[in-house]
Amino acid sequence: MKFSIVVYAAPYSSEAASTAYNFTKTLLDEGHEVYRLFFFSDGVHNASSLAITPQDETNLQKFWDALIQNHELDSVVCVTSAVKRGIINQQEAERHELAATSLLASSEIAGLGQLIDAAINSDRVVNFG
Amino acid sequence: MSNSHTFTFISRTAPYGSNRPQLCLDAALAAAVFEQKVNYIFMDDGVYQLVKHQDADAINSKTLGNALETLDLYGIQNVYVCTTAMKQRKLAADDLVIAAQSIGDEELKSLLENSNTVFNL
Amino acid sequence: MSSLHTISKSPRFNLLESCLSAVSEGDSIIFIEDGVYHCNESELLAKLLSTSKCYGLKEDLSARGLEVKVDVLQIISYRKFVELCASHEKIISWF
Repeated sequence: MKFSIVVYAAPYSSEAASTAYNFTKTLLDEGHEVYRLFFFSDGVHNASSLAITPQDETNLQKFWDALIQNHELDSVVCVTSAVKRGIINQQEAERHELAATSLLASSEIAGLGQLIDAAINSDRVVNFG
Repeated sequence: MSNSHTFTFISRTAPYGSNRPQLCLDAALAAAVFEQKVNYIFMDDGVYQLVKHQDADAINSKTLGNALETLDLYGIQNVYVCTTAMKQRKLAADDLVIAAQSIGDEELKSLLENSNTVFNL
Repeated sequence: MSSLHTISKSPRFNLLESCLSAVSEGDSIIFIEDGVYHCNESELLAKLLSTSKCYGLKEDLSARGLEVKVDVLQIISYRKFVELCASHEKIISWF
């Protein structure tokens, strides 16, 4: 079955991002398919390449990055949410003349059309916030 | 994209205290742009978004009451308010910035049952 | 078309009350994250269980020391959570 997962919550400030990760990992282990991960609102922080955590704590951004790469998942951060929160890729950095980028290479920046497309083309949409 | 999908957006939070009403509205407008069938339901504190005479300039925010007019501009006509939420908050149809159909629990259930995807913010 | 409702905040957010106005016959409810504290409200749960199937996520219950206290509702793993999402036609998240 094809799932899309929508994440509204930043890592660490609430449990939701971690639940979304565990859920996504489990559904892949069970042989289901991920049509798209969509990071919305504060959820875009899950795709930050600049996060550092103490050694004895989970680095959720790294976990997501590995999961996305290992399963070649389509991972999208909402453009409106991302640029407002400083989650920037090369293209946005050039467009806005910014000194750095902060988006993990495993995710792309795109509009809300990708969320609607995901809902239409998935068997199930599960929201975590 | 296919036209057979029905989206229902439930907006349950008051304006300004969080960005959830804006997220819900933005996602619904995106669905409308893609010519999907859209229901928009104001529930719980979400009905406060519809109150007249809002002006959020002083709190560095866009006035959400005005933004809700875009629902109509994007062709979203199935706009509903939950009767219970209105009553609990002593609101009447005259207090609202846009026209919305008042629905009870049974109508709410039926709208959800007939939806393919529900966003609940 | 049956729905699976997820509830992920503590009872003080009154999400269950809102959720119940939207629950149809054949729907199920799963408590996750702080939502598992609903499992501590036995009267409410007993009433709920007479009409709907209810589940609590094992990992969230045991993290909070609640797994041992729960006897009325079914404790499920992430695997079963995914299975429930697949067996219901849509998922409505209350958070």
